[in-house]
Amino acid sequence: MIDFNQVKKPQRYIGNEWNVIKKSHHGKIPICVSYPDLYEVGMSNLGLRIIYGLLNDFEDVACERVFLPGEDLAANLSANNLKLFSLETKTALDEFEAVGFNLSCEINFLNFLRILRLGAIPIKASERKEKIVFAGGIANPEPIAEFVDFFYLGEFEEGATKFVEIFRKYKSKKERLCALSEIDGFYVPSFYDVSIYKNKYQFDKLYKYAQFPLKRVYVKDLDKSYYPLNWLTPHTQIIHDRAPIEIARGCPNACVFCQARAIYYPYREKKISTICDIAKNIYKNSGYENLSLLSLSASDYSNIEGLLDALIAEFKDKCVGLSLPSLRIDGTLAELYRKLLYLRKTSLTVALETASDSLRSKLGKKLDVNRLFEAAKIIKSLNLRTIKLYLMIGFPEETDEDLLLIGAFLERLRRETGLSINVSINIFVPKPFSIWENVWMPEEEILEKKIKLVLSCIPKRYNINLTVPQAKRSILEAILSRADRNFSAVIFDVFNASPGYETGNNWQAWHDAMHKNGINYKTYLQNGNKNFPWSFIDNSQIPGCKNCRED
Amino acid sequence: MQIEKFALKATIEKNQDMVYFSQLDLVSILIRALKRAELPLYYTQGFRPHVKLSFGKALKVGAAGLEEVTFYFTQKTLPRELCEKLSPQMPRGLTIVEIK
Repeated sequence: MIDFNQVKKPQRYIGNEWNVIKKSHHGKIPICVSYPDLYEVGMSNLGLRIIYGLLNDFEDVACERVFLPGEDLAANLSANNLKLFSLETKTALDEFEAVGFNLSCEINFLNFLRILRLGAIPIKASERKEKIVFAGGIANPEPIAEFVDFFYLGEFEEGATKFVEIFRKYKSKKERLCALSEIDGFYVPSFYDVSIYKNKYQFDKLYKYAQFPLKRVYVKDLDKSYYPLNWLTPHTQIIHDRAPIEIARGCPNACVFCQARAIYYPYREKKISTICDIAKNIYKNSGYENLSLLSLSASDYSNIEGLLDALIAEFKDKCVGLSLPSLRIDGTLAELYRKLLYLRKTSLTVALETASDSLRSKLGKKLDVNRLFEAAKIIKSLNLRTIKLYLMIGFPEETDEDLLLIGAFLERLRRETGLSINVSINIFVPKPFSIWENVWMPEEEILEKKIKLVLSCIPKRYNINLTVPQAKRSILEAILSRADRNFSAVIFDVFNASPGYETGNNWQAWHDAMHKNGINYKTYLQNGNKNFPWSFIDNSQIPGCKNCRED
Repeated sequence: MQIEKFALKATIEKNQDMVYFSQLDLVSILIRALKRAELPLYYTQGFRPHVKLSFGKALKVGAAGLEEVTFYFTQKTLPRELCEKLSPQMPRGLTIVEIK
């Protein structure tokens, strides 16, 4: 066994969090779930916590966790011929019947494979005899089709019972996959043959009862759906060190670039009484000093003021911080912040996207900058110290003038509010299922020019804290999110060529692997038609889909 | 207005899995345990109130041993009452040895 005194941050691997669930595996289906990043990041992910709690609610399932170990522990395991283990019972990964991964971003693909290899599980689905590796989260599963036995499309709360029933009833991998593939939401890539015919992706079923086209599954009644109340509370600091309380899922807006909206429609809310019960229980069971109200757009919650009043009444004497991370700028902004300040100082975050009003309206973003300045006086009185802005560049039709407006905007914001400003600039990536999924992405040189132009106009004298994007990284993100099945070979080659953790961002390694496999990534980025590697997923029947598409 | 505070000094034994947790971790572990125990906690009166705790000499990460911690309450709390309420909220590896 590992001597934890010899590794950095041993707290990551102990698995003794408050409310941790440890079950004997005897007579149970052992399943390990993972968010393929370091403990501090993975433990901040709500989806993984929901799945962990949900599966452990079945008496005959023992669900445990594993995260990406630090590089030092990974080296230590390899050097001593040890296998990566689960946190709860320190069971080697290859002893679980199934291992599931929440892949909420494509950059984690390599980490996902690293965890498999460290756990002595064959990387390719075709090389695994009985073990089942599954994943969910990302919108387009095709780039990892070779590595997963099945991919879950949508929200797992809705499919968990059927998943467990099938694992109870059938014991062989073949039978399990067949049974799963007949149900909505369970996509078994090996049951479909994919070819390109006349520039269109064509899917042919290899198992005749498998579903086609596939449908994303969503929770019909969010108010009554499962939420983990026995909050798993780490004994060490994690990235988002607060308990998130989900108040709504989906978003009633339709910004053209937004993938989250496109993955989570329809828009659903929980009732105030339900949210208060959840918050009370989580606080009672965890003692967490910060709660965060989670949704894609908190301002759209139908009675946000009523909700805050109810929560403030509950928590005002308990010294509990409440944060509201996704507020829109409108008339109620100042009032909402005044309520929050009553509990604890917060900072203000605005997803402005662009400084140009005309471009912003083309993006479908409902945000009136004048409201922000009208509210400037009130903002000043709130004792806030910083304002954080999110900006995006690289949109089609974006002009140099649009970009140069950023400088003038920051100048004015600083002058009228006096706040210190953090700006995070990102490059637009046309993500699958977003309204602009068929928009082409500019070439690297053009993106670099745009970045330079923006940097040149940022006012120097205010010490504005800037996060600047890297064009290559965004292009890589676009490729990984838009690629087809052939790209599994590239991911596999990059993984094998990179012993360390740093290579995820190494363009040369990706470039070489694409070249070796005869893949021209530009075909993924400049797809002007309406047929994509992910077109076999048809969500058109889900309510809320229609008003987000142009056609 | 000055709120009266009542102090209790506890000796806590740190061993088993808890030896891997740092002094900084210990602060939030104890604060969360106190909050779960629903004790009448005394908060600092500053701009950003937080639970007041004071510590004796810190143990090094990896080492088992005794930690001295002083807790502060807004109401008179008996050592036995604190021990009864707090003990069930302590993770394995942190044991209250003495309170006075």
